[in-house]
Amino acid sequence: MPPGEPRPDGEHGAPLFELPPELAIDTDVARRVTVDFIRNQLRQAGFTKGLLGLSGGIDSALVAYLAAEAVGPENLLCVMMPYRTSSPESEDHARLVVDRLGCRSDLVDISPIVDGYFGHDGQAGSGGEGALEAGSLRRGNFMARARMCTLYDRSVVWGGLVVGTGNKTESLIGYTTLFGDSACAFNPIGDLYKSQVRQVAVAVGVPEEIIRKAPSADLWPGQTDELEGGFTYPQLDRMLFWMIDKRRSDEELLAMGFAEAAVARVKRLVAVSEFKRQVPPVAKLGPRTTGVDYLYPRRRPGSAKR
Amino acid sequence: MKPLRIALAQLAPRLGGLDENLARHRALIGEARTGGAGLVVFPELGLTGYQLQDLAAEVAMTADDPRLQGLAAETRDISAVVSFVEESPDHRLFISAALLEDGEVRFIHRKLFLPTYGLFDERRFFAAGDRLRTVDSRLGVRLGLAVCEDFWHMAVPETLALDGAQMIINVSSSPGRDLAAVHEVGLGTAASWRNLLRTYAQLTTTFAIFCNRVGMDETISFWGGSEVIGPSGEAVFSAPLFDEGLYFVDVELGDVRRERIGLPLLRDERPELHLRELRRVLAERTETDLGDAGETSPQRPDHGRAERD
Repeated sequence: MPPGEPRPDGEHGAPLFELPPELAIDTDVARRVTVDFIRNQLRQAGFTKGLLGLSGGIDSALVAYLAAEAVGPENLLCVMMPYRTSSPESEDHARLVVDRLGCRSDLVDISPIVDGYFGHDGQAGSGGEGALEAGSLRRGNFMARARMCTLYDRSVVWGGLVVGTGNKTESLIGYTTLFGDSACAFNPIGDLYKSQVRQVAVAVGVPEEIIRKAPSADLWPGQTDELEGGFTYPQLDRMLFWMIDKRRSDEELLAMGFAEAAVARVKRLVAVSEFKRQVPPVAKLGPRTTGVDYLYPRRRPGSAKR
Repeated sequence: MKPLRIALAQLAPRLGGLDENLARHRALIGEARTGGAGLVVFPELGLTGYQLQDLAAEVAMTADDPRLQGLAAETRDISAVVSFVEESPDHRLFISAALLEDGEVRFIHRKLFLPTYGLFDERRFFAAGDRLRTVDSRLGVRLGLAVCEDFWHMAVPETLALDGAQMIINVSSSPGRDLAAVHEVGLGTAASWRNLLRTYAQLTTTFAIFCNRVGMDETISFWGGSEVIGPSGEAVFSAPLFDEGLYFVDVELGDVRRERIGLPLLRDERPELHLRELRRVLAERTETDLGDAGETSPQRPDHGRAERD
């Protein structure tokens, strides 16, 4: 998107989303790099196909468009994995993406997996009596991991790699489930803030209704990211951009007009979620330890499986 | 004077794939020759890929390695600048750029500045070169070679020009980053490089040749955008961003003389003044303990040791 046009308009002239000017990116470059990245990651690993969990939200919709561009829709499998309380609109939107792209899709209802553990209708599951009382955090995390298990199982049948769909904003504040929605072989959009995901989504032609709707993890009815977090994405993206990318101190952030409590809260969210963004640490004992002083590229000649 | 045709090999090397990359270099040298080029330039670590980490030692070659000599043998009637991991006799690893011509390895430049900040970790894996020299090419011009980060230090192009270079060649593996709409070409890195190259070419009144790779190593993507800038600071040629290719460009070597007659910046340089003041600056930095007490400060005062002893 060229500078000076920070608010891409929808079909009827209304802004599709609010875009802070400092987060405006050249979407041609972003598209080129992310598409090449997907193609390269697959090729280096010896694969031609990819798959991803398609939720009906903007992040996975965008990655589906990018992956279809990278390897062709015939080499992309989109897996829809609703739980019985998931919004029907999510599934409609996921189907819309699949129809537009002409890619392969699978529908896997994760309700029996999740209910089998937590129990259902007063009947205890394999998680025991106590699991019947599990709150939304436990259930949400379990659902994210059930989807991860499903995707990785499907990846064997499909013969492709799992493409990640998490964005930079949620990664930085830790709004992800470790080994759940964040699990993937590689992630093409993990360095794009939500506001930047939206720009690229417009550029590649993700359907307007998906771009326009309120972002939600859809782990329980009525949940939206912004209600849960207490921030709007433009506010959060701006703060993270200045705090992290542009290394502004607390004092500088306050002088820019960010609220003190909000800065403190976001800093805490970033700090407490550091562990989610890193490979688990290994106790150093031997002369060469992976990730410490045994440092190789993930892929080199001979490392592809096929 | 007949124009010199330069071929810029803006390629995507295979990470760690030395044999494959050697074959690709041989093929492209052939293609450049067929296309009438007198000089073909390959990017930094074009023979090995960039993000090598511990692989560096496994793809290293000594200057007399038969594989490098074999590549040089392909240059009987063309000059080539190639880049590889060089292992010295005492087993230090360097990021080197070599001028191959007349069938031999004519000259090697070892990267002087190893970025070890941000996404870079070069000093962990490589040794820094400590020589900055120019070389007379069979093309009838004196060449100065530099590798990527070397051009983020002004003294490098300046010294090369003072040493007689009429053409300064920078081979790069520049990772694209700082994606923002405010930049001229979308990437902050690309915008910075374009400024540097034009400025250096103009201030040194030399041709500035920039060959940057494309493709990806792991998470980083290289943006290409190789360029030839004339001695007036104007771009003669700019290759597209991200697209692999062998790009041909003709330059008039006579432009160097024309520019230097009309704009005698090089004539008016004051290296003796520069050197004198640099000595003073270094001495003062050492006295106030701000400076690096290493190789840059050979005349470090003794801080009154005689009195204390």
